[in-house]
Amino acid sequence: MTEAAPTTAPSGRRRWPKRATLLMQYLLLQPLIIILCLVVLRIPPPEPPSRYLVTDFSLKENDAEQRVTLPHFTASRHAMNNPPLYRGRFIWPGGEQGAWSVFLPRFTNGVEVAVNGVVILDSRRNPAANRPDRNTPEIAVIPASLLREGDNDLAIRLFIWGPIRGFLDRLYVGPDAQLRPSYDTRSLLFVTLPVVFSAWQAILAVILGIMWVMRRHEPAYGVLAAAMAIGVGQAFFQTPLEASAFSRLNAILISAAPLESAFVLSFALLFFGWKWPRYGWLIFVPGLVVAATGLVGDAKLSRDAFLFVGAPAVGLYLIALALIVGHSVWRRQDAVSFMLGCALTIVLTCWALDLLSVLQVVPSRRILLARLSYSAMLVAIGAGLTWRFARALNQVDGFAARMVTLVREAEGKLKASFVREEERARAAALARERTRLMRDLHDGLGGQLVSIVALSERGNADTGIGDAARAALKDLRLVIDSMDDIGGDLMLALGSWRERVTAQLRPHDIALGRAVGPQGLPVHPELRPWHVIQIVRLLDEAVTNAVKHAEARRITVSIETITDAQGLARGRITIEYDGRGFELAPNAEAATAGPHAARGLRNMRSRAARCGAELELTSDAGGTRVRLTLPHRFPDSDAAAG
Amino acid sequence: MSVVSDQGASPISILLVEDDAPTLWRLQDALASAGFHVTSAATVAEARASLARAGPKVLLTDLQLPDGHGNELIRETRLRYPETEIMVISILGDEESVISAVTVGATGYLLKDAFPTDIAATVRELVAGHSPISASIARFIVRRTQSTAEPPPGPPLNTAKLTPREIDILWGIAKGFSYAEIAGHLGLSRQTVPGHIKNIYRKLEVHTRGEAVFEALQQGLIRL
Repeated sequence: MTEAAPTTAPSGRRRWPKRATLLMQYLLLQPLIIILCLVVLRIPPPEPPSRYLVTDFSLKENDAEQRVTLPHFTASRHAMNNPPLYRGRFIWPGGEQGAWSVFLPRFTNGVEVAVNGVVILDSRRNPAANRPDRNTPEIAVIPASLLREGDNDLAIRLFIWGPIRGFLDRLYVGPDAQLRPSYDTRSLLFVTLPVVFSAWQAILAVILGIMWVMRRHEPAYGVLAAAMAIGVGQAFFQTPLEASAFSRLNAILISAAPLESAFVLSFALLFFGWKWPRYGWLIFVPGLVVAATGLVGDAKLSRDAFLFVGAPAVGLYLIALALIVGHSVWRRQDAVSFMLGCALTIVLTCWALDLLSVLQVVPSRRILLARLSYSAMLVAIGAGLTWRFARALNQVDGFAARMVTLVREAEGKLKASFVREEERARAAALARERTRLMRDLHDGLGGQLVSIVALSERGNADTGIGDAARAALKDLRLVIDSMDDIGGDLMLALGSWRERVTAQLRPHDIALGRAVGPQGLPVHPELRPWHVIQIVRLLDEAVTNAVKHAEARRITVSIETITDAQGLARGRITIEYDGRGFELAPNAEAATAGPHAARGLRNMRSRAARCGAELELTSDAGGTRVRLTLPHRFPDSDAAAG
Repeated sequence: MSVVSDQGASPISILLVEDDAPTLWRLQDALASAGFHVTSAATVAEARASLARAGPKVLLTDLQLPDGHGNELIRETRLRYPETEIMVISILGDEESVISAVTVGATGYLLKDAFPTDIAATVRELVAGHSPISASIARFIVRRTQSTAEPPPGPPLNTAKLTPREIDILWGIAKGFSYAEIAGHLGLSRQTVPGHIKNIYRKLEVHTRGEAVFEALQQGLIRL
């Protein structure tokens, strides 16, 4: 039962006032329930019209005759051979009034009814009627041939076999149609309802048994199942009247109540997480004693044992149960304890009233309700278990939902880390390839190009071979540089580019200015080496134009981040230079510039398009501006190249 | 080509180690015409002999030499002649060649195809205590300062000694900012930035015995 314990209950004294409030509420509620019970129980069970009452009888008991008025308690507890005989009379008006009946709302233990000397009813043949703990009514139709107009004799023999005194409630003789409704209501309340409850108990016993089998670590279920099973046995097997082959075995059933309540007490101890007391098994002793007397002694002895050992034990256990549940209300503050506690109060009240009634301490009509109210507790237990079950299901659902979320999260993380891993592996492979290529170029092509530069300078400086070789070296450096992992920061690529351009411009005595906006350029994780090469070559092309065609004196590079119409951050690189401008033809080609420049412009446009960047060219006599607006996201594939 | 003025009474002596004759002539011409006193060597053995004869002020060496690797020469020179400034002659100025030379004691690099004026200017700056650095070298070093799961390819580098300020300077250089701009950003004097570069190179140098073993392994890697 550990999972039922409120694990979230905050520790210590902080919750003390709240606990105390709850316990106070609980304790105040119990007297209310008791009062409510008393009020409800004062409502008399349904009775026929009082004009059909027959109350005046002469009683012959133990050879002594006296006049009595019903209801009446006999003096003896046992009278089978010489039962008390009640004689009375009723008036049948005669005529066509339909059938007449004798209705006995309540009696203990058995009755034999005779009208005008003819026996019309023997309740001992009805097993349900033989149980003093059930308030079984009896009704018998008087055969029309027996009835005489005017006075009719009514003789009732009351059989008493203990364990309590005989009792005969007020009885009715009248038209069957008038008496039967109250008989039906009473038999519904006191005969059918207990059967229904017992059936319920049987089902619960099976369910709890299954629960216990499936969850052996929770013995409380098993104990409760045993209690229920005993209750069912007690309800459906009948106590014997005549000696039979099974009478001794049946006698054990009388011990059902104390045994059952002992089991229920054990259940409560286990359910509410109590440590099993060392002499805990002692609570089963009264039940076993009663069972033993049933086996060894005669029926009377076993019934007496029940009355003097069993019944008090039941009461004692009920009180213990109430204390345990009360403690649990204090400690666990949960709905299960609260409800069980209230149900228990009802049972206790009924048990106390029954005891007072049996001992004739208070005037009563001997309607015993303890057994019936026990089913109230059953309802509480059933409701509690259902509540727990639903809560457990909710917890499972919540747990499952949480697991699904967790699994999804983990999946996402895994996927992300897989992508990251792939990315890293790709970057590492690229870096390795670059290193290999770099060594190759360094040892081979690079050295050869340097030799060409040196040789050309030594021979004839004007051949242009040296410039070409230098340009090749520069391009080689650009390719190697672009393959480096710059983490999507184009600023790093532009750093190297600036260095190269500075070196390129120094012999031409052209000033290079640079302005970087506060944000620099946005970082593009999707940036690939080929993007970098395209952009750097485009910028190179612009610088070359400035040097070769415009004869510029000053070149300015501006780097900034702008926000476009969609509100996206985009990088912008602007190269402005003075010198000779050129006119742009309508097709945006340089009309006045030579064919070389025209090709250069075409190249710049195609490079910009391949990177998804926008190129904007403006040129006039005062100078030229090349504005490259980078895409918000660089394209994955080089579509324009295909 | 501008004519470089005389450097004073005693010209700066340079030992130039380069096995490719045209390149050697080219560099020699550029340096000699700038007023430096240049001695040349084509092999490691020649260079050792030359070093033993007269400790030069500056050592300029290629890496791939017929009888050995330039880094051996750099390490030896660094140990025996701590006063000598060392520069590596690189074809591409790539981190592979430059960083490996820096870790054994070089404090600068020179591109083989650099213009003669730039060659002379770079050497003069080096003598003045200003080490050259390229954006890609700076980028390589700062990326090594960032922790990664696996060591990136390329020569191993211990960047633990670098201060945050030095790393900031390297970032600035990697992104193409000029020394003046970096100095402005970091609140430094413009003149101190080149000195910081030399300090950075010195901090990347491998000194200890254990580091030397590690570095030997690195040599193996480079010779692959």
